[in-house]
Amino acid sequence: MESLITANIRSRPTRTLISVLAVALGIILMLIVGGIATGTLNDYLQRTRMVGADFILQPSGSTVFYAFSGASLPIKLVDKLLEVPGIRAAVPVLAKFNSSDFGLVFGVDLEKYNRLSGRLKVVEGKESLQADEVIVDELFAKSHQLSPGMKLTLLNHTFTVSAICRVGSVVRVFVSLGTLQELNGTPDKVTAIFIQADKGDLSLAYERLRVAFPGFAIIRTSDASLLLQDTSMPGFKEFLLTVILVSTLLSFMVILLAMYTTIFERTREIGILKSLGASRWFIVGMILKESVIICGFGVLFGAGASAVIRKAIIAAFPTMQVSMSARDLLFACAMGLGSGTLGAIYPAYKAARQDPVTALSYE
Amino acid sequence: MGESVRPHVIETVDLTMIYKSGKVEACALRGVNLVVKEGEFVAVMGPSGCGKSTLLHLLGGLMRPTRGRIFIDGTDIGRLGDAGLTEVRRKKIGYVFQRFNLFPTLTAKGNIELAKKIHGNGHLNARGAEEILEMLGLKDKVAFRPPELSGGEQQRVAIARAVINQPRIILADEPTGSLDSRNARMVLRMMRELNEKLNQTIVMITHDHEAAAMASRIIEMRDGQILHRAQHFAYEPEFEGLF
Repeated sequence: MESLITANIRSRPTRTLISVLAVALGIILMLIVGGIATGTLNDYLQRTRMVGADFILQPSGSTVFYAFSGASLPIKLVDKLLEVPGIRAAVPVLAKFNSSDFGLVFGVDLEKYNRLSGRLKVVEGKESLQADEVIVDELFAKSHQLSPGMKLTLLNHTFTVSAICRVGSVVRVFVSLGTLQELNGTPDKVTAIFIQADKGDLSLAYERLRVAFPGFAIIRTSDASLLLQDTSMPGFKEFLLTVILVSTLLSFMVILLAMYTTIFERTREIGILKSLGASRWFIVGMILKESVIICGFGVLFGAGASAVIRKAIIAAFPTMQVSMSARDLLFACAMGLGSGTLGAIYPAYKAARQDPVTALSYE
Repeated sequence: MGESVRPHVIETVDLTMIYKSGKVEACALRGVNLVVKEGEFVAVMGPSGCGKSTLLHLLGGLMRPTRGRIFIDGTDIGRLGDAGLTEVRRKKIGYVFQRFNLFPTLTAKGNIELAKKIHGNGHLNARGAEEILEMLGLKDKVAFRPPELSGGEQQRVAIARAVINQPRIILADEPTGSLDSRNARMVLRMMRELNEKLNQTIVMITHDHEAAAMASRIIEMRDGQILHRAQHFAYEPEFEGLF
């Protein structure tokens, strides 16, 4: 039987190739698009935690993806925050989305920002953030071929690179808070306030902040799961689900169509199998095994191609993160195989139910 | 084994088949009573539409009769479910078709091995594919695919596939209908050999009187019934000379 299956696969190379490529495309779509989304999120959350704040104060319903946030917090909240017992530092930041390189720029008061444990660690240049100065991280500098003293145009304003800091800050580009407020047209307003509590019971500090600022979101950054729980990620899960659904449907539909067409082509052969005494399960098994083999090749090719594409993306865009864990790979492969096999069930059932005499007389 | 004690391999009782298409009914078989004994080579003749193929399909368990009973090796197959009919086809029947019906993607050997695989225990009592192919003069063709074989060779592969599992009955539907006369004779001679050497029961549909002459009995059909002027032939050795 295996030889009939492999012979069928080999005898229809175009159909096999197209099916394999379509299944592979589904896998690539799932791994790369999902990987970029997840990688970017994880990287961002990780870097948010590395700032060293214990909490982030934001308007209610905001997200730590500051690109979606405006500048609506009055800066005077900083003083009120410092009045809360157990709060050691409150560092305001203004986030602005820079569409030219699809990244965020933070406007910070460097002296205050560096009070946080995740302070900027300058590796080259002068630790300074005057009105027209900018500090970028190593990856940004590498991807934009920047070094201290060079000019950088951001948000239609020309800055001078004063320093290059280590990777690990929440964003890759820092300018003076006052300059960014001016450029943004929002003086005295900020996007978020990073808060550092005294060493001790963080949950007590959290409760105090919630009581003191009832209309605001207090995001806990001490733990990745708490950070995910507290922040709002509009549409992220839906986006991932859509990617998985589209990829799975792609494999399902292609295999359904390929196998459905195949059983029509092979109607007479199915009649012959029945005349030889092949049972319904034998025929169902034959069609399913064929689809599993096709999907298997598709999954292998898709997984291999995804790994190559991931490397190429990271090489071409160093600031982009593409997450691809063994779990992601297994999940995508299982979805590719599963959806393909499901797609073959109806054609297999239809083939098995064919009347042998009608099938034998099929031209 | 004497004629009188040979067991009935095939027996039909009042076998009736009516095809229905909407409100239209067409009676293909009208109360056919037929007995075929073990080791018989029966040729079924008759004009197109007389019910020959329907009879063959019913005997092979490919369809169920409207009325009547079919005993294959003592089992009333008309009462079997799909799985039972499949089992009968797998264990008791070997088919030879006019158009060979080989799998074009498989080699000659692959086609035969497939039949063994479907049979499930083809490796036990049945001859090996290569041995059968040798017997049928196809040993040097085992690696060829059907499109690379002549019509006669393809039909011989089909015969090999039909006999590989040593079924009780070979049902042949115009096995020489697509062959030239030389290949037709060769195929008929091989079927005759299978009948004589292996005591293989064969029921063969044919329009060809020369082919029918190879059988030990000829049945004529008209309008879904067996005519009672069916003839019995004794095999004449000099007939061999024709080939």
